This record gives sequence, structure tokens and C-alpha cells, in this order.
Amino acid sequence: MIPEIGYFSLVLAMGLSLLLCIFPLWGAYTGNLRLMRAAPSLAVGQCLFVLFSFAILIYVTLTDDFTVAYVAHHSSTTLPWYYKVTSTWGGHEGAILLWLVMQSSWTALVALMSNSLPWVLRARVLGVLGFLGVGFMLYTLWMSSPFERLLPYYPVEGRDLNPLLQDPGMIIHPPLLYMGYVGLSVSFAFAIAALLTGKLDNTWAKWSRPWTMVAWGFLTLGITIGSWWAYAELGWGGWWFWDPVENASLMPWLVATALLHSLAVTEKRGVFKSWTVLLAITAFSLCLLGTFIVRSGIIVSVHAFATDPDRGLYILSFLGVVVGGSLALYAMRVSEVYSEGRYKFASREVTLWANNIFLVVATLIVLLGTLLPMIHKELGLGTISIGVPFFNQMFSILVVPFALLLGIAPMMRWKQNQLPPMVKKWGGMLVLALALTALWLLPNYEYVAPMTFISTALAVWITLGTLLDIFDKAPAQDSFANGLKRLGLSYWAMVLGHIGIAFVIASVTLTSAYSVERSVSMKPGDVAQLNEYSYRFDGVKEIRGPNYSGHAGVVTVLKDDKFIVELYAEKRLYDIGMQFMTEAAIDDGFFRDLYLALGEQLSEGAWSLRIYHKPYVRWMWLGGILISLAGFMVVADKRYRRRKIKGAVA
Amino acid sequence: MNKKLLGFIPFLIFIFLCVFLYQGLFGNPRELQTGRIGQTMPSFVLPDLMDESKQWRDTDLKGDVYLLNVWGTWCPTCIAELGYLTELREHGVRIIGLYYEQAYDPDFGDQFDINALRNEVQNMLDRAGNPYQFNILDLDRTLALDLGVSGAPETFLVDANGTILLHHTGDINPRVWRAKFAPVMQELSE
Repeated sequence: MIPEIGYFSLVLAMGLSLLLCIFPLWGAYTGNLRLMRAAPSLAVGQCLFVLFSFAILIYVTLTDDFTVAYVAHHSSTTLPWYYKVTSTWGGHEGAILLWLVMQSSWTALVALMSNSLPWVLRARVLGVLGFLGVGFMLYTLWMSSPFERLLPYYPVEGRDLNPLLQDPGMIIHPPLLYMGYVGLSVSFAFAIAALLTGKLDNTWAKWSRPWTMVAWGFLTLGITIGSWWAYAELGWGGWWFWDPVENASLMPWLVATALLHSLAVTEKRGVFKSWTVLLAITAFSLCLLGTFIVRSGIIVSVHAFATDPDRGLYILSFLGVVVGGSLALYAMRVSEVYSEGRYKFASREVTLWANNIFLVVATLIVLLGTLLPMIHKELGLGTISIGVPFFNQMFSILVVPFALLLGIAPMMRWKQNQLPPMVKKWGGMLVLALALTALWLLPNYEYVAPMTFISTALAVWITLGTLLDIFDKAPAQDSFANGLKRLGLSYWAMVLGHIGIAFVIASVTLTSAYSVERSVSMKPGDVAQLNEYSYRFDGVKEIRGPNYSGHAGVVTVLKDDKFIVELYAEKRLYDIGMQFMTEAAIDDGFFRDLYLALGEQLSEGAWSLRIYHKPYVRWMWLGGILISLAGFMVVADKRYRRRKIKGAVA
Repeated sequence: MNKKLLGFIPFLIFIFLCVFLYQGLFGNPRELQTGRIGQTMPSFVLPDLMDESKQWRDTDLKGDVYLLNVWGTWCPTCIAELGYLTELREHGVRIIGLYYEQAYDPDFGDQFDINALRNEVQNMLDRAGNPYQFNILDLDRTLALDLGVSGAPETFLVDANGTILLHHTGDINPRVWRAKFAPVMQELSE
């Protein structure tokens, strides 16, 4: 009975969503204020029913109700309770329900926080969000209900959650990503509402900007955690695979990054208007496209979700309606848009325009690399495979001009700059960046490849440029500290975001260049040496967890005969699926990670072990966290709150 | 160009993309890997993994049916299939290894220690079984690229004239062998 209530609650939510889609849009079209006023309560109402439905799914999972197919396939009685909760989004049906939870919550949030918006705009934004909600709810109810029953023959024990997903990183990775995807649907709704209203002025950009920033922050954090999870959980120290599913999250991120820069130009200078709208549409479209790629099984991926052409067909149709419809609307309205501002070549406008170009090119590279093999095949040209080397090569080329630009971008002013004094400053910065890089790398490494040196220097260059700009802008009449305070949270967000990128570039470069690994077979007491660390194998212990058993290799790490850490590299056998999992032992540090994976048992008490020394690998995720913080900081900026009120008066 | 027409470009690109996505929905994505089937083995000159002075050419391989197995000691699945491949060798299947070194990237100044690799390979083969007649070292991954290899393990079935008959991604186990390779081998021996 209880699962059926969950299903029914979703049906009600869809009913309300349908009204949320029709009433305000019709009201805005006919100028009927009463219809428009219905929107906020409808938005909150559908959200409550979706939340209730999700609570029921959690409840049936916690109570081990294996008559529900989803629970029987993704949970088991021995699963710890927290993994039972997360198992509600470990499979396709549950993941889509989680998406719905996010979608309806964002919709409700927009409804509650948009009371300073003019009704026509507010109604249209909520109407568009309502339409998206209907699309996802219909999909859940029709093709992927998590409440389907296995009656009358149901199992007494569930199939357990995939061991790969039994990890803290996996608990938060999907919700964060979905927060980002769905958050971008708000930017999308704002763009469509602006197109429908026909007023593409900078007020639209002003309102859309904080929402976009938060969505982008979540997306960044989601991708960062996903990469960390892969590193910690997959057992061979990789952190990015250019897998179609990863690409599906990277593409919206790249476009959203372009979008938030472009929004700044539109808001402050009133130019790039139609471009910004197009980016907002594209960012969300790529989220939908990503979902389609992941869920339809159109491309083989290690993430391999269930492949079902019916589901794929539904998502593709939805994609066609949403994206096709909005691009058609865009095509019809865009010719009415005119730019107001004027600017010269050496200006912040052009710098940001170049930033957009680079990010869009990067997106196209990822898109092509992901879809080209399929298009090639469909054209009857035979098959090709595009792998990691293609992406690595393209990105390592693209990052050079991008990073060079990033280093000088903050110094550029709107409209026009005097180039000669700036060029002089950049020359000094360049020399300094090269010198610092040399000081950093040359004493520490015997051999520095030109490519390694250049990439690292780029990271230093970005950091220098950003820091120099602070010193340029901060001085105030009274004191330097007060000057710093006056810069505002948005400015600090920019600083954080750019330095985060520098961290990521440095980390990717140095980890790729200087990671070393050794496969060794060791008996208890044996010592292996890797770089300045020695690893003493102290034997293997039996371990027993709630739903697995296995062995833990105990390794003592020493440096110059001094104790550093004792590591337990586990190999687990999960009871139900009989699946082996390598649980790597990681000693994390600011400058290096020591990473240890236990291999097979060999003869006479010897075990095979894999030892990795990964310098600066942690900077990657540190960078990711800094970048996402930038997204969250902008929302806290007082300027935005005051602006909102001013917008309401106007 | 007319601004009005320009605005339709994103829409048209999207429609174009949708057509392919729709078609792709009903295709089998795993067929993507079969691009080399029916073509002849690309030409190459590469050293032997264990003995640098020995060079292998594509022409050296001709004359008999063989399996080209792309593998590396870094790849757990490759190690897992060594046992079964060794069994196949004992039944008279000729297997040639194409050693795929994953970690090495000269652009980042990686050093390459061939002797360490040889030791590791030798240890592994001593332990897990040695199915190979010999191993080709494809350090720059040029042959792997020509063959459309996307990872390891992958195995190609090549006939006596050097024509590629099968391309399998993933491990070879008794089930795969019976379903995919055995019928073709049967046909060849008739």
C-alpha cells in the first residue's frame, strides 16, 4: 500500500505541475493577473508532493520492502542504513526521482524568492519550470517508476547496492551534479521568459546571475567529488577518464562558465545579449543531452546504466521539444535585439568575449569527441574510436592561450584600455612567472620537460595576475586593509575561482609528469623503495565488514627511517554480488599522495602490491572546491541583495 | 549575413544532431569497435618486447592464423585472461602479444625503464601463464592507434593473409571463445 501512495503522490505533483505550466503562461499571455498569481502556490504544492513521494521511497528502502522491484535490485538487509538511504539514487529509477526532487525544490525556491520580480516575468519563469517538471514527472510515472512491485513472487533478500557506490563520495556526488543540472534549468527558464517577454534587457541578466552562479557552484563541486571518488574508489589512481558520462557533466560546466562571464557583460554593459541567452539555453540543453547519453545507452560507457530504447526515445523527444522549441523561439526573437554599448579592442568586453570563445571551443571538442564516433558510424563511414589521447592533446593545446588570457583578464577595464603600460606590466609578470616556476621545479626534479614547464608557468602566471590585480585595485584613501574590504564578495569570488583554476592546471600538469608507480610482490618484512619513501609490508589481516569480508595489507611507510604512516590497503569480497573491490589506502598530503592498492595473493605468503607516489594530486580537488566556493560567494554579495530591491522599485 | 537567418543556425545544428541521436538509439553501440574488420593488418616495424635488436614487421606475421592480443601488466583484466589464453595456446592457437604501455607519455618527460618492464612482464608471465609466441612493444602506441584500440584487453583475429576477421574488446573467456572466435576458427580450418 505504502509504495502506491508514493506513486499517487507523484501523480498529484504532476497534476499541479501541469497547472503550473498552463496557468501562469496563459495568464502572462492574456494579461490575467489572477492566473499569474496562482504560480507560486502551485510551485510549492508540487514540490511538497514530490518530497513526500521521495520520503516514501526512502521509507520502503529502510524497511527492506523487497516487494518493491527497485529496493530488491538496489538494496539488501545487510546494507548499513546510510547506504540504504543513498541506494535510493543508486539506480536509474531512483536517480530520476532524485532529479525530480531537485527540480521541484528549485522551482519552489524560485517561486519563494522571486517576489521582487514583475509578475509577467515571474509567471513565465515559473511556467517554464513547471513545463520541465511535467516532462520529468511524466517520464518517471510512465517509464521509470521506482515504486513498481514484484508481486506475487518477491525475493527474501535484495541484490545489494553496487559496491562501487558504497562510498561517501558517491553519497553526495549525484545530488550535487543534479543540483547543478537542475539549477541551470532556472537560468534556462529566465532566458526563455525573457525571450517570451521580448525584453532582453540587462534586468534579465541581473536576476539570472545569482541563480546561475549557485547552479555552477554545485556543478563544479559535483564534478570535483566525482573525480575524487574515481580516484579513491576505482583502485588505480586515475582521476579523469574522458568517459562519455564524465563528458556529459563537463560540457554543461564549460558552457555555464562561459555563461556566467557573459552574464556579467550583459548585466554591466548591456552587450552580448543574444549570445548570453543562447548560452543559457545551450547550458541546460547540454544537461538534457548528457542525461540522454547516459540514460539511453547510445554510447558505451563504463558507467553503463540500463539501456532501454523506449526510455531513450522519450528523453530524446523531450529534448527535441524543449531544446528545439527554445532554439526556434530564439531564432524568431533574436533579430529584434540590439546591443547598446560600444567598446574598443583592448577592453574587458573583448577579453570576456575571447574567454567565451575558448570555452565554447572546448565544449565543441568534448561534444565532437563524444558524439563523432556515433555520427561517423551512422553516416556509413565505418567506425572510429576517439580516446583519451585526443582529448588530452586538444585540451593541452587550448589551455595555453586560455591561461595566458586568464592571467591578464582581471586587469582589463570596461570599454577601453591604454595598451602600452599594460604590456610593460605583463612583460614583468611573465619574467616573474618564469623565474618562480624555475625556482619551484628545477631544484626538485631532475628533468623538467618543456611542456611541464610551460603548463606550470601558466598556473603561476594566472596566480600572479590575479594577485597583482588585488594590489592594483585595493589601495584606498585610508588603509590597504580597508581597500581589500571594499573590493566586495563578487570580486573575491573571481579571485578564488581563477586561483582555483591555477591549482587545477598545476595539479594536472605535475601529477601527470611526476607520478610514479611500482608493482611489487612482497612477503611480510620486505621493503620496497619508491622515491624518498620506503614501504615495509607487515603482512595481511583478515577483515570483516557489515556486508563484505576480505584482506587488508598492512604497510608501514618510512622516510629516512622515520615512521610516517601505517596504511591498510583492502581487498573486499562483497557477500551478495560476490564482487571483488579494491579499497586503496591513501595517505593524503598537501604536496603528495601515497596511494597503495592490494593485488592478488601469490605463492608462499607473498602478495602483489601496487604503490603510487602522486605529487600535488590533491590540488586538483582543492582547486575544484575553491572554484565552487566562488559560485556560492557571489550569492552572499550584498550588492546583489540591494540590486534586487532596486529592481523591484523600478 | 542577414541577422534573421543567423539566428536559425543553432536550431538547424540541433535538428541535425537529433537525426543522428535518433538513429543511434536503434543502433548497437558495441558495433563501434568493429571498424577494422575486413581490412588488412596495418603495416608496422616495431621491436620485440624482450629483445630490442629484433624487429617485427607486419609481413613477418603472415602465413598462419593468429590472435593479436593487446595487453599490459597494468591492466587487471589482461592478467585475468592470461590463464585461458595459455590454455588456448596449448590447443595450438597462435597468440601474439601487442604490449600497450599506458603510463608512458614522452610529452611530459616520462622516463622509460625497459629493463624494469621486462622483469615485470617476465614475472607476470611466469606466474599467470605465458600464452604468447612473442610480444611486440608498441611504446608510442602507433599500431594500437592504427588498429583503433580503445583500451586493453582487446584481441584481433587475423587470417594467414593478414586480414582482420574479428575485433573483440574485453577479456576472452570460454564463453566468448565459443560464441565468437570458435566458429570463425572452425571456418578457417575447413
